[in-house]
Amino acid sequence: MADHITSKLNPDSHLLLDQPLLRLPFELLRKNFKVAHFNVEKESAAVKSTLRDTANASLNSRASPDDVLKNVDSMIARMRGLKRKLNACSEEETRLQEQSQSRVRHLGELYGIQSLDDVKYERWSRTRLDRLLVDYLLRYGYKESATALATEKNIRDLVDVDTFVHMSRIRESLQNGRVTEALTWCNENKKELRRMESNLEFMLRFQQYIELIRTQDHSKLLEAIAHAKKYLLPFRDTYPKEVQQACGLLAIPPSTREATYAELYSPSRWTTLANLFMQTHNNLLALPPVPLLHIALSAGLSSLKTPSCHSSHASSSSISPTSSSSITTSVCPICSIELNDLARNVPYAHHTKSHVESDLVLLPNGCVYGRQRLEEHSRKAGLSDHLLKDLRSGEIFLADDVKKVYIS
Amino acid sequence: MDVLQVELAKLRRDANLTQSIQDVDRIIEQLEAARESIVADPNSASIILAKLQNPLKSGFDKVNDDLKKIHKGHSNYGKALDKNFPVKALPNEYDALASHPSLINRAIAMHLIREGQFSVASTFLNEAQGHPPHPAPTPGTPHPSESDEGDFSPQKSQELQAKFENMYQILQELKGRNLHPAIEWARINRDELEKRGSDLEFELSKLQFVWLFQGPQVNGLPDDMNNGLPGALKYAREHFGSFQNRFLRDIQQLATAMAYRPNLPDSPYYRIFNIQSAWDDVSASFTREFCSLLGLSAESPLYIAATAGAIALPTLLKLASIVKEKRTEWTTQDELPVEIALPRSMIYHPIFVCPVSKEQTTEANPPMMMPCGHVVAKESLNRLSKGGRFKCPYCPNESQPKDARRIVL
Repeated sequence: MADHITSKLNPDSHLLLDQPLLRLPFELLRKNFKVAHFNVEKESAAVKSTLRDTANASLNSRASPDDVLKNVDSMIARMRGLKRKLNACSEEETRLQEQSQSRVRHLGELYGIQSLDDVKYERWSRTRLDRLLVDYLLRYGYKESATALATEKNIRDLVDVDTFVHMSRIRESLQNGRVTEALTWCNENKKELRRMESNLEFMLRFQQYIELIRTQDHSKLLEAIAHAKKYLLPFRDTYPKEVQQACGLLAIPPSTREATYAELYSPSRWTTLANLFMQTHNNLLALPPVPLLHIALSAGLSSLKTPSCHSSHASSSSISPTSSSSITTSVCPICSIELNDLARNVPYAHHTKSHVESDLVLLPNGCVYGRQRLEEHSRKAGLSDHLLKDLRSGEIFLADDVKKVYIS
Repeated sequence: MDVLQVELAKLRRDANLTQSIQDVDRIIEQLEAARESIVADPNSASIILAKLQNPLKSGFDKVNDDLKKIHKGHSNYGKALDKNFPVKALPNEYDALASHPSLINRAIAMHLIREGQFSVASTFLNEAQGHPPHPAPTPGTPHPSESDEGDFSPQKSQELQAKFENMYQILQELKGRNLHPAIEWARINRDELEKRGSDLEFELSKLQFVWLFQGPQVNGLPDDMNNGLPGALKYAREHFGSFQNRFLRDIQQLATAMAYRPNLPDSPYYRIFNIQSAWDDVSASFTREFCSLLGLSAESPLYIAATAGAIALPTLLKLASIVKEKRTEWTTQDELPVEIALPRSMIYHPIFVCPVSKEQTTEANPPMMMPCGHVVAKESLNRLSKGGRFKCPYCPNESQPKDARRIVL
């Protein structure tokens, strides 16, 4: 049986919540490279063909010297443009590489820590909490708070503010009924989306179509048909149901009570689209679908929760069996106001061994305490040696009336 | 991580766009040179252009070669990443917290306030007020957040913030070796502290006595009647009276120690006067008491829970994979099926596991002590006794179920 008290730290298995930390900059680095590559391809092809054409034209004396010069100028301009773009990519590249560097260093620090009780671990774990908080704030679109926290804690390199801010902007535009930004994003990530077999772009186009039909305006309806021919019909094998519905929709006005079509006209589709976008986005960048804080907290709440955390009698004064250094109690984090309600729905931790103070005694009122703690408490309360005072209720008993308790 | 460090260094050295940018520069130079020659001699344009074709082509080939190098560097780094930091799936099928975002928001706001990040906290409260979160329904809670009283009103947060500002101020003073604000706080809250069995006020006063006792050389306070031995004596006369009942022995020790003043380090009282760690200790216990009186734990619960979560995750993931593999179900919904090893400091409640049923006792199934002093859970007791006389499973003692009594741990 595994020991249930541990202070050993195994960094390899400990770094679960931290995977996106290195994955995301790497994905962005690759994306950035693709942008650079694409630009080089495009410009090189264009410049090469312009040069060939100009050379031929000039050889056959079809082009005047002015035309030749103009073509050469345009080639130079193209190359300068390319250089500008590459420079931008290069800057981004350096930024991402530096970011990865500080992240690897941050994660590497954990490998130098042996024990969970180490002060260094506490510091590391605090930084991790700050990262998780920023991640949570960004996912819920609280970008100012996220930025403020990241700046105050000096962890800008460890969090991905820009990526998430970009994402929330697109999500918000979808929630406000605009597809343009999302379509642009689809276009930027065309290849990957195709590889993932994502239906995001199709769904966006479908929504555009629905919006055109919703107007019930003659010219818009014609436009809708053209739109469907261009963007929807090619996918009739992949999404037969949707394409069929789209065709049917032409005949149905928005006032319909027919459930299938009413659902298509429903404004809640925008929220669905926004969620679909988030899902696709997170998938593409290898980000977990839910905030990391949720994952950490639900695991943490469960492993800390005990049956006494939500019991009816004053549990906040429950006495920790391990904090022998202090007589007074510290409130358990699950009993503390912040997390108490949140922990109500999670299961409590499983234990196979009892954790109680040593040398327990029972007071006549049914409460059990460690003898040493009880005696010290009573002494501090100014009682004489043959009296004992209950730590919780304050009742006073004769020391002879206590009974020893055996916990196996 | 060391391997990744090396791989990343390689990536930064070999796989970057600088080389390609230089290649592009060279092409631009060639084009510009060609342009100048054409301007100088328009008639030779066709020859110059024809001559330019091959260098330009090889120039672009060079650009592509360099890009290929980057691509190779990326795939190497990607492989290193896969090998040294393999992707492990996180548990995601059930997110118990998604339905309570307002509670999480409240927890975060309180965390920020208690950590003293007041400006971030107020930014967050403003933003959260403007965009209230949309709870997502989960299987366990079909109608999320209707009952959540997660609203953390600005007024409440300001109250809390004021309290923590006060706490940080007092702590700051303690750092500057000024005990008065802390003592003042302890005096105001004396009754509640006493009820908790806390001796904070006396500890603080005692430290103040010792601090004065050590005199101006150590404490740097002005050398007058309120400092040194006379100062300490005066302080003791004025303040120790109310502690006489509870801490008579400590006060006696302090008083006797005065006789040993010339050679304190050799006296039996040296321990009391060695206050190296005392300042940190009183700061810690002050923080703990302050938070406890607010009904809060001393350490940020969010921090403890997130850390515990990170420690628990590997075990929970293993559990998830076993459950999936064996196609079993997890039957006890309200208890985790595995034990999670946490550091000792993260156990806050006494835990009693019945030695017979191996279950934790709960309110419905409390621990019961038999006359012999052994303890089992109530359900076990009922099962053992079947209503009649029975033998304790741990010792030869026999007893009636009615003789067993409920205990509170």
